[in-house]
Amino acid sequence: MTAGRESARPGNGIGSAEAPGVPSEPGPLARHILSLADTKRLLGIRYSDWLLGSPSLETGIAASSMAQDEWGHARLLYSMLKRLGFDPVAVEQDRPADRYYSAPALDAPFPDWAAFVAATVVVDGALAVALESFSHGNFALARSRVPKMLAEEEYHRQFGAAWFARLAGAGGEGAEHLERAARAMLPATLAWLLPDDSAYEAVVAECDIWEADRVGERYRDRVGAALGGVGIRLEEIRPAREGWDSERRRGPGAPGKEAVERARGDRNRALFVE
Amino acid sequence: MPHASGGRDRWSTPLAEPPEDGDAALRAALGEVLDPELPISVMDLGLVYGVAFEHGTARVDLTFTATACPCMDFIKQDVHDRIAMEPWVEAVEINEVWDPPWTTARISHAGRRKLRTLGVGV
Repeated sequence: MTAGRESARPGNGIGSAEAPGVPSEPGPLARHILSLADTKRLLGIRYSDWLLGSPSLETGIAASSMAQDEWGHARLLYSMLKRLGFDPVAVEQDRPADRYYSAPALDAPFPDWAAFVAATVVVDGALAVALESFSHGNFALARSRVPKMLAEEEYHRQFGAAWFARLAGAGGEGAEHLERAARAMLPATLAWLLPDDSAYEAVVAECDIWEADRVGERYRDRVGAALGGVGIRLEEIRPAREGWDSERRRGPGAPGKEAVERARGDRNRALFVE
Repeated sequence: MPHASGGRDRWSTPLAEPPEDGDAALRAALGEVLDPELPISVMDLGLVYGVAFEHGTARVDLTFTATACPCMDFIKQDVHDRIAMEPWVEAVEINEVWDPPWTTARISHAGRRKLRTLGVGV
């Protein structure tokens, strides 16, 4: 049965104003979930930009597979919001760009393959660590669903580490591009991963996820060696906290219009199947 | 009367009378539901984590091979349709589960044999 979905659903408190029966503002846990889900949704879009045009057919297939994984994870994460009183469908389809909680490194498309590779380590690595922390907390849906995501993320880690080492080891222009891309992504990504605001502390207290210091240590363990290949020492990178938006759990800015239209499925509204 | 699922498998005739062991009957029925991509059943693939039949309601705990499995809706629909065709089942409830995460280790020996004959190594 096919049912065309109206283009403007009622608000849900996250994307717009009033909505009967749902919280008017997302609490710390809902914001934490949105931060993870939106970042995965955007990362999937950025990966999908390279299904064709990557260095080889094989890497295009990898990009396709990873993009699909990210959207699968996002789907499971958004659906957790139902437990908190939100309509996941409305959350996915009706928010404007300035209501996205995604990591700023994904606001614009990757300019080149080096940026893609940098993101597999810097951004995907940050997501994996944040998910690992979430899976060790007391939120039952995270404990039951996230381990499957982490199992799939292991392939992303292997892909990212191998390509990062390959480009870094080759030296020359490729390594320079890689270093530049990683350095550009790191400050905002560190701020996203390691927020020092009360909202994150509230999630730590409410859900027993890892404190920021432990998350930071885990992130260093996961990506430090790869980044060292282009001379980056994480200890020297300062999180970009200027303009921090505590509501959206991210720095200033928003994902680009075209990416948000794809994330929401704007062009497919009439084709959605209930 | 045979019934097509996904255009490939054939479902047996529904039981005329309620079975003595509802859970076993549900498992047998699910053994006729093929995965849309691999020619083995969802039972052999290890996607069914549990079944229960109680007061006319059939409950199935179902997982998937990947979080982004594009066939989730097809599989759910086939599972629902196969069970719902049994006249002794009044309602079907499918519970999507992810714990423990599915791996290839969950494929049954029979499933592995079938896949090997088709050149699929697991």
